[in-house]
Amino acid sequence: MYGKGIIKGLGVTLKRFADTYLDDIQWWGRRYYKAEGIAHRSSKDTRGVFTVQYPEEKLPVPEEFRYVPFLVYDDGTDGGKEVRCTSCGICAKVCPPQCIWIVRSNDPQTGRPIPEPTEFFIDADICMNCGFCAEYCPFDAIIMDHDYEIASYQRNVFNMQQLLKPASYYKSIRPLNYQRNDEERRAKEAAKAAKAGAAS
Amino acid sequence: MTDNKELNSPGYEIPEDLQHAVSITTIDRLYNWGRRWSVWPMMFGLACCAIEMIAAQAARYDLARFGMEVMRPSPRQSDLMIVAGTVTKKMIPAIVRLYNQMPEPKYVVAMGACASGGGPFKEGYNVVAGVDKFVPVDVYIPGCPPTPQALTAGLMKLQEKIDKESIRKVRWYQKGADSVELPIPVLGPDLMDPRRYNEIKMLAAKPAEPATESKA
Repeated sequence: MYGKGIIKGLGVTLKRFADTYLDDIQWWGRRYYKAEGIAHRSSKDTRGVFTVQYPEEKLPVPEEFRYVPFLVYDDGTDGGKEVRCTSCGICAKVCPPQCIWIVRSNDPQTGRPIPEPTEFFIDADICMNCGFCAEYCPFDAIIMDHDYEIASYQRNVFNMQQLLKPASYYKSIRPLNYQRNDEERRAKEAAKAAKAGAAS
Repeated sequence: MTDNKELNSPGYEIPEDLQHAVSITTIDRLYNWGRRWSVWPMMFGLACCAIEMIAAQAARYDLARFGMEVMRPSPRQSDLMIVAGTVTKKMIPAIVRLYNQMPEPKYVVAMGACASGGGPFKEGYNVVAGVDKFVPVDVYIPGCPPTPQALTAGLMKLQEKIDKESIRKVRWYQKGADSVELPIPVLGPDLMDPRRYNEIKMLAAKPAEPATESKA
């Protein structure tokens, strides 16, 4: 029979239309602007079609969501920032579009390089959010961010002040990654201490 | 979700008993409020960012909530050009021409890394390193590509910009030409900007100096 496909297709549309309202009634008053409603709508059990009321409610992003990277710093003992970056330059080398620029620092007395960047630039207008820098960083110093609301009125070239974010922020956006990295770091430090102890 | 609080507070105190009967606003605020909720974008996509733009436009993210639902298929009817994607040297003359054809007020949003700075193709032989070299860009949205929510955030940023405009200062009510007419770049092995013709001519006329040439 001709036209069967059309009727079938329209039936699918009609079903979704009906489902939307059925789900709305079932979740009356809880579906929009509420955390549990958003969680339900992001799950596989949701039915029908709906609009994300963006500025008021935001879809939760998955942990591995990647946006423009940021630099991690640990809180120092004297309240200062202990930047994890050692300006080794691996991220700048692996970056496919080459959007990372690091200014290395030297000891003013001896003139020898010290493991700390003086400046760190990421050109967000080139960055393609591939995450290679975070993947290759041996110190977990550069991490992909979750904050996507960074539109601005001028070109987005971020310097170190804008890029530095605390380790607690890293923990809040990527708890599983943070835990894994933290364990690895501890294990490495313990192994190093044991080796030093054995040598002496 | 229109918030009229700011619209109703132009700095004059309304007495308590008149608050639900009287409303005072300024022409500027009314004008900007009207414009900010009816920005019509042009139906114009270039690369993968266009897919995200379509997603933002469709039912799930629904730009209609911001009065941006009508994607105009003609530049003559649109206020906003979302440059969504990689701009090749072959495409930029067309983009500038489309920009010239748009009536005032007109805005440009560079969506994604490619449009705002060239992106991964910045060093490429065929890509314009940032559309702002040829058309004035109002909002830059980084990301590759920006998610629909990031695009919406960028468009809200544009709305904030519209809010700050004053009817007395906007360029389309000034004396003189109605609209800015940008020179259309000439397609060639190296894209030429007609605004820099004099500069290019001067450089070409200058006798070759070996010392400066080695520096450049």
